[in-house]
Amino acid sequence: MAKPETSALAAEALGARLPPLLVAAERVASTVAQGVHGRRRVGQGDSFWQFRHFVSGDPFARIDWRQSAKSGRGAPEGWFIRETEWEAAQTVCMWRDASPSMRWRSRQAAVEKCDRANLLLLSLASLLLRGGERVMMIHNDARPVTSRGGLDRLVAELDRTDEDDKGLPPNVRLPRHSSVVLFSDFLSPLEEIQALVGRFSAVPVKGYLMQVLDPAETALPYTGRIRFRGMEHEGDALIPRVESVRDAYAERLKAQQDGLAAICSAAGFGFGIHRTDHPPEMALLTLYTALAAR
Amino acid sequence: MIFVSPWVLVGLLALPVLWWLIRVTPPAPTSEIFPAVRFLLGLNATEETPARTPWWLLLLRLVAASLVIVALARPILDAGDALAGKGPVLVVMDNGWASAGDWVHRKEAVGALLDRAERAGRKAALLATASDGSGAPMAISATMPIADLRARLAALQPQAWPPDRAEAADLMKSWKDAAGASVIYMPDGLTDGADFNQFAAAMRAVGPVTEICCDAASSPLLLPPTSEADRLVVHLAQVPRAEAMQAAVLAESGDGRALARADVTIPAGASAASAPIKLPPELRNRLTRLVLDGPPSAGSVVLLDERWRRRPVGLLAGEMTSADTPFTGSIYFLKRALEPYTELRTGGAATLLKREISVLILADRPLPEGAERDALTAWVKKGGLLIRFAGPRTAESAGNDTDTLLPVRLLAGDRQLGGAMSWSKPAGLAPFPPQSPFAGLPVPDEVKVTRQVLAEPSAELASRTWATLQDGTPLVTEMPLGAGRVVLFHVTANADWSNLPLSGLFVEMLRHLVQLSVGVANTQSTAVLAPAATLDGFGLLTDPPPAAIGLQADKFGSTPASPRHPPGLYGPESGRRVLNLGTSMAAPEPAPVISGATLETIRGSARERALGPPLLALAVLLLCVDMLVSLALRGLLKARVSATAAALMLLMIPAAHALDSSPNPATETRLGYIVSGDAQVDGVAKAGLEGLSEYVNRRTAATLYEPDPVRPGETDLSFYPLLYWPITADAPALTDAQASALNDYMSRGGIILIDTRDSGSGAGFNPGTEDALRRISHNLIVPPLAPLTIEHVLSHSFYLLSDFPGRFTGDTVWVQRDQDRTNDSVSPVIIGGNDWAAAWAIGPDGNNPYAVIPGGQRQRTLAYRFGVNLVMYALTGNYKGDQVHVPAILQRLGQ
Repeated sequence: MAKPETSALAAEALGARLPPLLVAAERVASTVAQGVHGRRRVGQGDSFWQFRHFVSGDPFARIDWRQSAKSGRGAPEGWFIRETEWEAAQTVCMWRDASPSMRWRSRQAAVEKCDRANLLLLSLASLLLRGGERVMMIHNDARPVTSRGGLDRLVAELDRTDEDDKGLPPNVRLPRHSSVVLFSDFLSPLEEIQALVGRFSAVPVKGYLMQVLDPAETALPYTGRIRFRGMEHEGDALIPRVESVRDAYAERLKAQQDGLAAICSAAGFGFGIHRTDHPPEMALLTLYTALAAR
Repeated sequence: MIFVSPWVLVGLLALPVLWWLIRVTPPAPTSEIFPAVRFLLGLNATEETPARTPWWLLLLRLVAASLVIVALARPILDAGDALAGKGPVLVVMDNGWASAGDWVHRKEAVGALLDRAERAGRKAALLATASDGSGAPMAISATMPIADLRARLAALQPQAWPPDRAEAADLMKSWKDAAGASVIYMPDGLTDGADFNQFAAAMRAVGPVTEICCDAASSPLLLPPTSEADRLVVHLAQVPRAEAMQAAVLAESGDGRALARADVTIPAGASAASAPIKLPPELRNRLTRLVLDGPPSAGSVVLLDERWRRRPVGLLAGEMTSADTPFTGSIYFLKRALEPYTELRTGGAATLLKREISVLILADRPLPEGAERDALTAWVKKGGLLIRFAGPRTAESAGNDTDTLLPVRLLAGDRQLGGAMSWSKPAGLAPFPPQSPFAGLPVPDEVKVTRQVLAEPSAELASRTWATLQDGTPLVTEMPLGAGRVVLFHVTANADWSNLPLSGLFVEMLRHLVQLSVGVANTQSTAVLAPAATLDGFGLLTDPPPAAIGLQADKFGSTPASPRHPPGLYGPESGRRVLNLGTSMAAPEPAPVISGATLETIRGSARERALGPPLLALAVLLLCVDMLVSLALRGLLKARVSATAAALMLLMIPAAHALDSSPNPATETRLGYIVSGDAQVDGVAKAGLEGLSEYVNRRTAATLYEPDPVRPGETDLSFYPLLYWPITADAPALTDAQASALNDYMSRGGIILIDTRDSGSGAGFNPGTEDALRRISHNLIVPPLAPLTIEHVLSHSFYLLSDFPGRFTGDTVWVQRDQDRTNDSVSPVIIGGNDWAAAWAIGPDGNNPYAVIPGGQRQRTLAYRFGVNLVMYALTGNYKGDQVHVPAILQRLGQ
């Protein structure tokens, strides 16, 4: 993996090509922190909402003296109070798979799956932070990041991701009604993924699953007699003639991806596939539209 | 064919096992890491790779394996019989001068015999019968393993002196390891003047002898030549052969050029032959060695020293007081004629004869009976050349028969032609008779003889006459006397009796006469001369070996060549003496074959050939093929094919040339030479400009590329700063197109270096170029020319030069006169005859193929420097010339 500064810069550069991403807030909750999302009601915030007449009991400090002077009437009926729109921020929780199977690339690919997932995660985080959202990594004792300067902290947290070889995010408490974005190759059995998504939707959170695959994993471009060795103690597979099993492999991969899509749509999650030999902007755009649509 | 280690062949029995193993083992799979291996885990292949190796691959591997086994058994083709005996082998090798001719073959032949001894596990010792030059006494080497002996054998060199057979016989008699030993003898075919039977007996006493002989005839020995009137006679000596033999002797000058070649036919059964080398005297004086054409050896080289060149001339007048008076003195003209090219001595007869002298000229000096005549007679008989001029005194004393040192008897008195009281007219010269040494000299009409002494007619007068007047009376007569000769001019040596001494013919006649004489060397001295350079066994001059010591000057004729006195040059630079191998050596005598010896030939039979290494190489090749095939079967080859192809492409890129060549002349600066049409001249010009370009690139900041041939009128000349134009004698006149192209080139600042290549040779090497130059420059606009002096910019444009040599030196180089201010005073044409390109030329081996004359590395360096100056002059014009104004400019700025 590249150095934290470099990957942060690369992610910033990638994210700068899209307008600031505003996640559509679905729900308004009184408990969420302030953000740039106007709640269409009076509250704490920076944007002007309305003027209203002074009523006794209002603090003098909130009187807009300029507007009051313009009205031409005497006090106190000519006094106006300046009210701002109540703004709130959405929290986006992110995770990427750091298992050994992600730290691999074939001869056809230029980058490892893990590096690509990092890039996508950070560029999405950069977009969100510029939009004023809060970003949080999913792991134990994670704290949300609110400013763009916090991107560096995200990078540091990426590096100290808990060493779990399961290829699944740890079971931590997530803020309710937040969004979840997961980057992984999702090659683990469907049942485990189903359990994960069920757990997330019970919080409840909405989410998006991005499957990052190497081109060799989609096409199986090998020929001849080959002994395939897994990276997570799955065991070896000696294939006498790889060409002959290429179709069967493709069917199995398709079945996995279909299953993933079915799980996601059932839980209201989004699902996307990204190949490391494709440009990362495509995946980022997909994520952007998916998050903005909600 | 035999096998050295036949038990290894048992390994062939293991082949079936190998076959079974290879057949049942499928090729090893490639290992790949793959994260999505879970999807592959349960997949059963619908089609299986042929797990069994294909039969042809199986065969390939089995053949490779059996080749390895057979090769390890070390098969040997054409193996010879084992040597006799069980103990150590004594290699007796003649390494005198006679074995140098085919030395390599001799060592190979001995090496082949040693192969057999090595197979038998025997040890060996080496005895070289000619001791080396290190001064250590001859010895038999320690008995050692044959591998160690081979290194000694490889370092053994032939020597320039004959073997010492007596010493070798003594060594063999006292050899300690002789128990069970056998002998390999490599003879040189000569007895070398020693008791060969004793030598052979000593060898037989050591053990059974294997002699390598009889198919290499020993090479002839070149003996020192004898100097005759107008020729050098070379002599060869050799062992008589059944068939006639052709040989050639090359006469080489100091710079290694062969100036003449004499073909010698040695008749069948003859042991000696000789042939003359005829050379003009000037060239003959340049000879430094005679070389027998063929394989190099010390016996085929004869060095020549001053004895073949130096000819001091003594002058003796009848009346010494007025002999030197200008225009009237009797030896005045003789001195003027001889001084330029001979060493002249004057003085009394006794004084002159005290030292070695080649020619003695007596000008009108009668020789009455007495000590002087006896001394002179003895001197002539030893080989002196006595030239006498007649005159009033001679005429007076003629007719009384007292003077015996005259070629003919003279009539008393003299004969006067022309004059107030005579009807006859002064007589001119008739053409010289063909047997005369003057034959071929042109006879000018203006030479007239008015008085002469007359010879008494006799039967042999005609044969003794070398020059006659038009009426047939002898003018020059001669008589051989002992080893020498007496020559009489029937006129005076001054202009009293004829105007012959005033003509150029007189000079030529005297020069020819002096060349007839025998050269002398200072043989009487007892000074010890140190060896300066000696011949090695291959006839090359090298530093003297440590054992060489000085030799007394009077013993050169009698000292045989030996490690203490190797053949070569002795003495200081000014008085070199030569000790030749053939001077005091007995005629070569064939050595008999050692009786009872087993005979082997040097190169007659087929050599032993070990088959093991080629078989192993073939096996490795097959295994390489097997590896490629296996890689291909495992699908690994495809990715590597491109890399391999790239590597092969890299290997096939030809080596870059030292000078880059480019088809576009505009992009680089390069020199050009005008194509003369003579392939050799053009080759020299190209090589010369290449050499100069390299030199310029090395020494200066200018970067020149490969020179181009140019044809005026066809090639665009505007890209070339400098054109080199060698003139051949048959160069045709320029066409209008060519002339206008060259005129245009010159008027726009181009520089042409015209080289007639004829300087210093007396027009002998490249005659006719002056006419050619006149012809081709007819329609060239050549500015007024002046000699190139050291004031000219060309002499300091890079190096400071005072001389502008090429292959020759000393010729005047012509450049534009300085007054002309067109083109910034840069001369458009430089004309000379020093053959610069030959001096600059560099051969493909990086050496200079053409010797500079008179020679020396200094002249070569100066030639290159002139070339650099020329290039700088062409590139920078009169830039350096401006510097002469620097004082004036500085002065102006200061005010």
